Amino acid sequence: MKKSVKAIIQVIMMITALFTFTAWQASSASAADNSLQRVKQRGELIMVTSPDYPPYEFQVNKGGKSRIVGMDIDVAKKVAKDLHVKLVIKSMNFDSLLVAIQTGKADMAIGGINPTATRRQSVDFSKIYYSGGQSFLINSSDVNKYKSVKNLKGATIGAQTGTLQYGLAKKKIPNSTVKGMDKSTDLVLALKTHKIDALGIEKPSAEAYVKNDPSLKMIPSGYHLNKNEVGAAIAFKKGSNSLVNAVNKSVDQIKQQHLTDQYLASAGKYMKVNTVNTSMWHYWTYFAKGVEFTILISIVATFFGVLIGVILALMRFSKQKWIRGLAISYTEFIRGTPLMVQVMFVYFGIGVVVNIPALISGMIAVSLNSGAYVAEIIRGGINSVAKGQTEAAESLGLSKSDMMRFVILPQAFKNIWPALGNEFISLIKESSIVSIIGVTDLIYQLNIVRADTYRGVIPIFVAMVLYFIMTFALTRLLNHYEGKMKHAG
Amino acid sequence: MQDKKILEVNHLSKKFGQTDVLKDIDGTVKSGQVICVIGPSGAGKSTFLRCLNLLEKPTSGEVNFEGTDLTHVDDKHLVNLRERMGMVFQSFNLFPNMTVLENLKLAPVRVKHLSDEEAEKTAMHLLGLVGLEEKAHVYPSSLSGGQQQRVAIARALAMNPEVMLFDEPTSALDPEMVGEVLEVMQKLANEGMTMVVVTHEMGFAKEVADEVWFMADGYILEKGKPEELFDNPQNERAKDFIGKIIQNV
Repeated sequence: MKKSVKAIIQVIMMITALFTFTAWQASSASAADNSLQRVKQRGELIMVTSPDYPPYEFQVNKGGKSRIVGMDIDVAKKVAKDLHVKLVIKSMNFDSLLVAIQTGKADMAIGGINPTATRRQSVDFSKIYYSGGQSFLINSSDVNKYKSVKNLKGATIGAQTGTLQYGLAKKKIPNSTVKGMDKSTDLVLALKTHKIDALGIEKPSAEAYVKNDPSLKMIPSGYHLNKNEVGAAIAFKKGSNSLVNAVNKSVDQIKQQHLTDQYLASAGKYMKVNTVNTSMWHYWTYFAKGVEFTILISIVATFFGVLIGVILALMRFSKQKWIRGLAISYTEFIRGTPLMVQVMFVYFGIGVVVNIPALISGMIAVSLNSGAYVAEIIRGGINSVAKGQTEAAESLGLSKSDMMRFVILPQAFKNIWPALGNEFISLIKESSIVSIIGVTDLIYQLNIVRADTYRGVIPIFVAMVLYFIMTFALTRLLNHYEGKMKHAG
Repeated sequence: MQDKKILEVNHLSKKFGQTDVLKDIDGTVKSGQVICVIGPSGAGKSTFLRCLNLLEKPTSGEVNFEGTDLTHVDDKHLVNLRERMGMVFQSFNLFPNMTVLENLKLAPVRVKHLSDEEAEKTAMHLLGLVGLEEKAHVYPSSLSGGQQQRVAIARALAMNPEVMLFDEPTSALDPEMVGEVLEVMQKLANEGMTMVVVTHEMGFAKEVADEVWFMADGYILEKGKPEELFDNPQNERAKDFIGKIIQNV
């Protein structure tokens, strides 16, 4: 017991060391500013955004193809054009945008980001390219109740967690209760189901919602705010002065020529196109793509999970103490940390040293995670095989590996088949966590559709049905094979 | 030929924790001999047999198999020596995930590197010997206990061992199936196979054994030809044990 604790502590220390190393790499990389030069040499400007925030950025289905559009995208296009490079758009969760530029996954993050003082501590910002102003969304039925901000006193107000709106509502609306959620689509749903009375949101977004949903109304916030904090700016990795300066030239032009008005207008056009048909059938390609990626990730993770699981389980039966210790530490560590953290660690943490694409990162993290659980299941299965089997194999002179391969593992797998099936099914569901790093699995696509259609509930229901179809089909398949194995023995 | 020593045990002891299960055991098995080990339960008979191919590791003493002390060879070497000793267990221990034929072929193909055809030929021949040719392609679970044990004997024979160890081969069988297994064992003995048999079948011991070893309390208390040991035991414990058994035979 003591020894395993020691081994586990050693592994944790190793991981800490790796973290420190990656952090050091990240900081040393920023020591010399070659940010602009790097972009030009590459000939590509890589931006990250979270395309669930119309009219800033959102996805549209045009000619059967999904495209990210919006005011911010037009801003980025203009910047790329001025730098004479190609624009590459990566998408991921809003929470991950700043991490993505800090770890070098992208050159800049753009997504209606307010350059608050806190954020300025960790990233650099361009000049503000747009100030939309703040507003509140309310239900049309409450129009008489909440005529102006003053009436919101004591109300329950919703806002996106970690945003400016959240802090402002807390500070500026007396006696209010502020509820935070991750996605603006969820917040709108909360408003419509009267879980919150009003929703603090940027004016352009509010206008978009009002235009598309007659049950919503907008009231201006009436806040008096410092212009430097409330507008939207482009974020860069700390120490990217040369790139920031170059981008600022484009931002100046955008402001002088009032280009954002034009951009907003064209975004509005897309939104109109978008809301002509909000039936779920119209979005079937979105869901199909989500299902495709969810299945792809699950299959890959199942394969490698079982492979890793078998290896780890066999390591547990090794004669060498350190091999056993390694397997135990691995299993304990993986089981003791959330999959979400592992996904982010593989993508952002290891990504600093080796740049791994989001999809591969997700597959690696989910496989590594599943491996630990499968290992425990297999270990249990091996232990469940009668001791007489081992003795019979030994008395016949079979080598350890032949014994495992031909005698023990086939019987173990038969015994653990139901437990393994459970693991595969939870894999399909848990793989949804890769959406946070922008892998377009079913959950990610679900959020895109919700943002696109302004319909909060129906897409969730569709996703639910799709997940159920996948897991149920898998259950039937597993039962079929279980029956076959029973027959054989 | 009769005088060639196959197994020689010197000062063999085995402890399970604080309990002495085997105490200073000596014994020699010569080529072609059939040794039956008898005695009351808890005497250490099975442990003794399992020490002969090192399924149990002796606490002290030597187990010489054709001149090599098994207690001092490494694992890899041990595997090579074990394939030359066949073992049949009380609970058969057939591999349930394989057909009868696959059970017989596995070790010859994987350990002796016989070709599939060769292994199959031997296997079918041995199944014929135990009278189960027609069961070659069924799974063990569909066989009776007696049939399973006959397959287990054939499986051990498939490695062409120099000695066969039987650990109470009929104890787990329904009475009506004991005969078919003993018959196969007798056939083997008649063909000159060297055998060490832990058994409660006194009739078999009397008829087939060249030598009977009586064990009690972790000691071998008496060794002798069956007619001597059964008709005129010298040791008190042996006398007592045989007295009780004979009444039942």
